[in-house]
Amino acid sequence: MRKRHNRPGFYIGVILILIFLLFPFVIMLSVAVKSTKETIGFPPTVIPRTFTLEHFAAIFNAQIFPFLTYFKNSIYIAVTVSCLAVFFGILGGYALAKVHFTGKRIVSDLFYFVYMFSGILLIVPLFKLLSSIGLSNSREAVIICMIVQTVPTAIYMTRSYFETIPKELEEAGRVDGLSRMGIIFRIVVPLSTSGLVSVFVYAFMIAWNDVLFSSIFINSAEKMPLTIGLNALFDTPDYIWGRMMAASLVTSLPIVIMYMFSQRLIRSGSTEGGVKG
Amino acid sequence: MKFSRDRSETRFAYALLAPSLILIALLIGYPMVYNVVISFQHVPLNPRMSSTFIGLKNYLSVLKDLTFYQSVLVTFAFTALVTFFSTIVGLAMAIYLNRDFFGKRVVNGIVILSYVVPSVCLIFAWRYMFNNIYGIINYAVVDVLHLTGKAPLWFDNPTSAFLLAAFFSIWRFFPYAYMAFVAALQSIDQSLYEAADIDGATFWDRFQAITLPALKPTLVTVVSLRMIWAFYIYTEVYLLTKQVDVIGVYLYDMAFATHDFGKAACISILLFFVIFACIIFVRKKVLRYNEEEA
Repeated sequence: MRKRHNRPGFYIGVILILIFLLFPFVIMLSVAVKSTKETIGFPPTVIPRTFTLEHFAAIFNAQIFPFLTYFKNSIYIAVTVSCLAVFFGILGGYALAKVHFTGKRIVSDLFYFVYMFSGILLIVPLFKLLSSIGLSNSREAVIICMIVQTVPTAIYMTRSYFETIPKELEEAGRVDGLSRMGIIFRIVVPLSTSGLVSVFVYAFMIAWNDVLFSSIFINSAEKMPLTIGLNALFDTPDYIWGRMMAASLVTSLPIVIMYMFSQRLIRSGSTEGGVKG
Repeated sequence: MKFSRDRSETRFAYALLAPSLILIALLIGYPMVYNVVISFQHVPLNPRMSSTFIGLKNYLSVLKDLTFYQSVLVTFAFTALVTFFSTIVGLAMAIYLNRDFFGKRVVNGIVILSYVVPSVCLIFAWRYMFNNIYGIINYAVVDVLHLTGKAPLWFDNPTSAFLLAAFFSIWRFFPYAYMAFVAALQSIDQSLYEAADIDGATFWDRFQAITLPALKPTLVTVVSLRMIWAFYIYTEVYLLTKQVDVIGVYLYDMAFATHDFGKAACISILLFFVIFACIIFVRKKVLRYNEEEA
């Protein structure tokens, strides 16, 4: 960190940056709390002249807006994906961090390849494949595809956390008669909680934000996650801006909260690990 | 003795890796092969009818199609714009904010917002801001600043829709570069800057002599990854406008709007070779480069 006195000009720059970053979010919030008439009025307002919570009330009313159904589907998909990604990440990350084996380089290259690769190249065969085994219009098809998308990064992330755990702790576990699996789940995993939380958050974010696989595999409204459900509503002629923005804010909230939480955990957890890092 | 221990270690490692490797084989490996097969087939709309082998017909018809080349060109332009500007903006912001100041943590938290929030939500806000009739951007451009007499129809004109999609993607993806550069900047030895200050170096001198060389590995990684990801972008462009046919959108529409699976598979094969070449290049140059540096 450079020690220099910050001139007022520096803070003007910071404010400009904040405007660049936040303007769309300010608009989102502003539209979500103003009356429908004002949202399509002219000239447009940034600070609302009217204030209402009717849009938030509307999105939680199942009679007029299927928000809660979409929300439940999103939670189901994202939580399943992140739990499995963390689990696969623990196993694979441990192998890459702590076990010496032939072919490590190739396996690690393969994960890197999958990491850079994209689902869009495989939409045709994946669609044919998964619908041929009866997984068309199913959330499980989305889950399966999202696991593959997130596992390489999950393994890379867990590997780097596991590498910081000293060998002596594992040796101690071995002396106490723990099996290899016992060492992983009773010693290594508890010491890497904050790292594993950030793996969970990462996978959750990818799954929560997915549009591609959901739009391919899900076509009935009661199974849609938030992303494609809300987008489908956008294309109907009678969408109401306030509701869309309120729904967007509530949709963004879990990710933002989880992200902030995991950042804090990582900061406070950087000294964990039992022995000096 | 050592040999048998290594063998059991290897077996243990593969047992741990098995779930992930099986999943990748089934959902990446097998579909890749299947994709090649489909690209040589005519796939009827009715799933009960079987596909017929038609040789290179799909390839010929894609390669003869002018819209395919158009979409490749649009994709190249899009990739160049987004990669360049998202990297530059991320770099500039990381350098600018790399000092102690009031509210640093809050600002750092805010920077990643556009990167973590679902694109659908962001796109609602952008579509509202750029609305032809009551959008605040047109209000500012036409009624306040009087830059043009007529309100631009942002989403309906291919050129402005393209620029808007690029601008949106830059805004959404620059935090990735920002985070990478922030981490890299923190690892630079501060005494180098102090020495440069004593020598009376200007900001530009310091940047060229200290910052840029130290950031180079990160820079190369960020640029190559963003290039690959921008090249097959689908979600952000498709949700924002129907006027910009980047190759990802072209491929998706071929499969699920035109319902021509054979041709779509063939486009993915062609696209795959481009991306594979990029990945090989990245593996060879970037990673080796990073290892040498490290």
